[in-house]
Amino acid sequence: MHAATAPLHELGLRDEERFGGKSAALGELLAGGIPVPGGFAVSVEAYSAFLAGAGLRETVDRSLAGLDADDLAAVQRVSAALTAAIGGAELPGDLRAELVERYAQLGDDPPVAVRSSALGEDSAEATFAGQQETYLWVRGADAVCRAVQRCWASLHSPPSITYRAQLGDTARSPAMGVTVQRMVDAEVAGVLFTCNPVSGDPSVVAIDASWGLGLAVVGGEVTPDEYLVSKVTGEVVRSSVNAKLVEYRPDPDGAGTVRIDVPAGRATVPCLDDAHRAELLRVAGEVERHFGCHQDVEWAIDGSGRTYVLQARPVTAVPRPPAPTAPSGDSALALVMSALGVKPPAGGGSA
Amino acid sequence: MTTATGAVSAFPSPFSIETPPGCEGWQELYPYYTLFTEERREIDEGRLWFWNSMHFPMPMPAFDIVSIDGPYYAVGAWQNRAFAVPPAMGVDYRIVNGYVYITVNPVTDPAKIGERAEYFQRRAGHYFENWDELYAGWRTKMENLIAELHAIEVRDLPEYEPDELVFENDHVSSYVPLLEGYQRTLRLGELMWHHHFEFLLLGYGAYLTFSEFCRAHLPDIPEQHIAQMIAGIDVLLFRPDAELRRLARVAVDSGLAGAFVQGRTPAEIEAELQGTDAGRAWLGELEQVKDPWFNMATGDGLYHYYRSWNDDPTIPYASLVGHVAALVAGEDVERPVEKLVEERERLAAAYEQLLPDDAKAPFAELLGLSRTVFPYVEEHKFYCDYWFLTSYYNKVREFGAVLANHGWLADGEDVFQLGRHEVMSALEELCLMWATGGPPLGPAYWPPIVAKRRALLTRLEEWTPPPALGAMPESVNDPMAVMLWGVTPQRLQEWAAALEGAQHRLHGAAASAGVAEGRARVLNDPSELGSVQDGEILVCTITSPAWAPIFPKVKATVTDIGGVMSHAAIVSREYGKPAVVGTGRATAIIKTGQLLRVDGAAGVVDILDEAG
Repeated sequence: MHAATAPLHELGLRDEERFGGKSAALGELLAGGIPVPGGFAVSVEAYSAFLAGAGLRETVDRSLAGLDADDLAAVQRVSAALTAAIGGAELPGDLRAELVERYAQLGDDPPVAVRSSALGEDSAEATFAGQQETYLWVRGADAVCRAVQRCWASLHSPPSITYRAQLGDTARSPAMGVTVQRMVDAEVAGVLFTCNPVSGDPSVVAIDASWGLGLAVVGGEVTPDEYLVSKVTGEVVRSSVNAKLVEYRPDPDGAGTVRIDVPAGRATVPCLDDAHRAELLRVAGEVERHFGCHQDVEWAIDGSGRTYVLQARPVTAVPRPPAPTAPSGDSALALVMSALGVKPPAGGGSA
Repeated sequence: MTTATGAVSAFPSPFSIETPPGCEGWQELYPYYTLFTEERREIDEGRLWFWNSMHFPMPMPAFDIVSIDGPYYAVGAWQNRAFAVPPAMGVDYRIVNGYVYITVNPVTDPAKIGERAEYFQRRAGHYFENWDELYAGWRTKMENLIAELHAIEVRDLPEYEPDELVFENDHVSSYVPLLEGYQRTLRLGELMWHHHFEFLLLGYGAYLTFSEFCRAHLPDIPEQHIAQMIAGIDVLLFRPDAELRRLARVAVDSGLAGAFVQGRTPAEIEAELQGTDAGRAWLGELEQVKDPWFNMATGDGLYHYYRSWNDDPTIPYASLVGHVAALVAGEDVERPVEKLVEERERLAAAYEQLLPDDAKAPFAELLGLSRTVFPYVEEHKFYCDYWFLTSYYNKVREFGAVLANHGWLADGEDVFQLGRHEVMSALEELCLMWATGGPPLGPAYWPPIVAKRRALLTRLEEWTPPPALGAMPESVNDPMAVMLWGVTPQRLQEWAAALEGAQHRLHGAAASAGVAEGRARVLNDPSELGSVQDGEILVCTITSPAWAPIFPKVKATVTDIGGVMSHAAIVSREYGKPAVVGTGRATAIIKTGQLLRVDGAAGVVDILDEAG
């Protein structure tokens, strides 16, 4: 029986309560036929079951109950204690067996990314992303289990505790799911928005791209190549190719990632070609259509040129294009008059 | 449209421009009111003047001032006095070293703008609401005008008046119709310009509104997509070239391809065709096409230099040779009309779909209005700038021939070295001396003036006019300046920067997407069109649709002046070739033979080497 986990492709947005936002969104993407690397989700209940099985439920509740979030020393003390307790506890045997089995279904010790899939995270209202840890290029069943535990433990990192306190969410004991997803050995990766997040123009896709894993772009460690691509014709409306000085690659030792300097000759080479952009444009369209609103998409292209979506979430706070100089009026004629300097009559009515 | 110009800078004062050596006295070619003079110095120094190289890329011959006064009467009369466009009156011009600088008179008083708005709303509203009906009569009006111009008979003064004058009393003395005919010719020219601007401002206004509306809701939309959604597909202007393609196909189908050899003159090709039945049949078909489609001009039509295809068949024949060669090579020479229509509809539908719901209906309505008015914007060129104007200058040539017959001019063509009132004056003296039989002064008086002016024009051609003079304005208010001349605040800043030294990069309006590299071919005059080689990048002040035959040859186009609705832009998009227009000084900075990279989507031209 698999109560605690599920393959990503079996999930959808309806499963957000059980598996957290990220896993649910990835399941939804897969259901929409979007190329997402496979993987599995660990449920929110699994975390509760783990706390109960390890006898930690009461410890957590008690530690958080009386905590003053403004008392930094106290926050750090509680955080250290809970992190050590959660990270060090034994996984219940059946849960561990389930994780090992799911991992084995992904292949022969494939590298995976282990990330938090929090409740309420990735929602349009509050971008909670980045408050929990992500573990990249994790290999081997033991390492995966450890990474899952560390994700749980990161619920109690000092920033997470403080953040929840700011949201006024101290009463509830926090919980979350975990996403385990095959990693793409990215040649190029980055982020795209299905609109221009700066101008609000819905007719373009904004793509940021850099060499190696997407970490460098997401973390703001490079100035990526930037492209605005027309959804209507596919042409590049504006672009800027920048010097991409660092990249993340899988650690040659087999697990984890390394940050390396990009050789000088390659740093200023555009990292996307026409075919890449066309494929990203297509995928962006599918994601946007599937969710019915503008999306912020992490993507990667592997060495064979295949494009993958790593995650997608609604764009928070898209500006509606400001239109201070737009002609105003309710008919074409009124609009033309307005553009040629005729102010519409105050209080409406026709002249 | 009001757009702040940002960083303040200034162009050279018009009063600081020196006369190039050897060009002293150039002012004598032009009317007194066309010059920068002390009386208006204070006002004129405070205005922005930009070189209208779009319409007047060369130093002005004295007669050709009719092509400045004519349009500027009319644009001002319609814009300022008839429609009362609220923020803008008319266009003023001045001549500096033979080149035409213009400025637009803004209306700044809010009360005045309000007053004008009431007129404008009623009057422009009437035109927009009844556009099709009002425009339906326009072509007929123009055709009648052209017919009247052709009907003016220019008869030389006879030794003896005909018998009819004496015996039938239904004839007036020959000097009367000669003088009257000349005056009528001038008046018809003014009428043509009047008709020319009747619909033009409103047509541009609708386009401008649609453009601003798109830009407000879709800030990143490429300008050329806006133009593409509106542009007419089956407009009159493409007919002459379409007829040439058809004739080329007929020639190939009739086994006549062998006559169309590159490098042959039209006369040589026609001589070979005369030798066979099929050839004569083809020539018969050509004759039918000529009226009206060979009334295209070889340039943008405003100078007397630009003859019609009828007068100078070099361009249509070059085009025929190209089309025949392409057909023989198995290429498709047809304009992909269906594809163009499909793409235009696809763009419009896709953009409408992307708009917020409350913007969809105004978008569709504005697009509809723009499409209603836009055929005029493209078609008036054929009737006015090409057909009428080439006929008009030919009529003036007939008067020049009369003056030459009597020794007032060495050659009929010299008539264009005289101002229109000087021509009147010369004709009047001719008539007077013809009547009196006394000793004429004209034959001694005019030829030296003509010789001096010809030399001056040649020397003035060597001078490169700065793109702008005078003050940097706080804002650009005039729809015409923005739409037609591409004078945006950004463009002004770029012009200002370009004045400051050597340039390896030029900025202009992104007129047609794509990137191309190639050697530059800088053309200062349409007569040099024949020098363009396959694969070169055309660099010119401005192109006209009559240049269409060379677009298949060039890789990309760069112009000094023009917005995205200028003809270089329209034709480039048609041919799917990159174009950057309105660069200000491309012809002054780029040398023939230099390697260029043209990025038509970014509006950037890079000079990659110094060769040439």
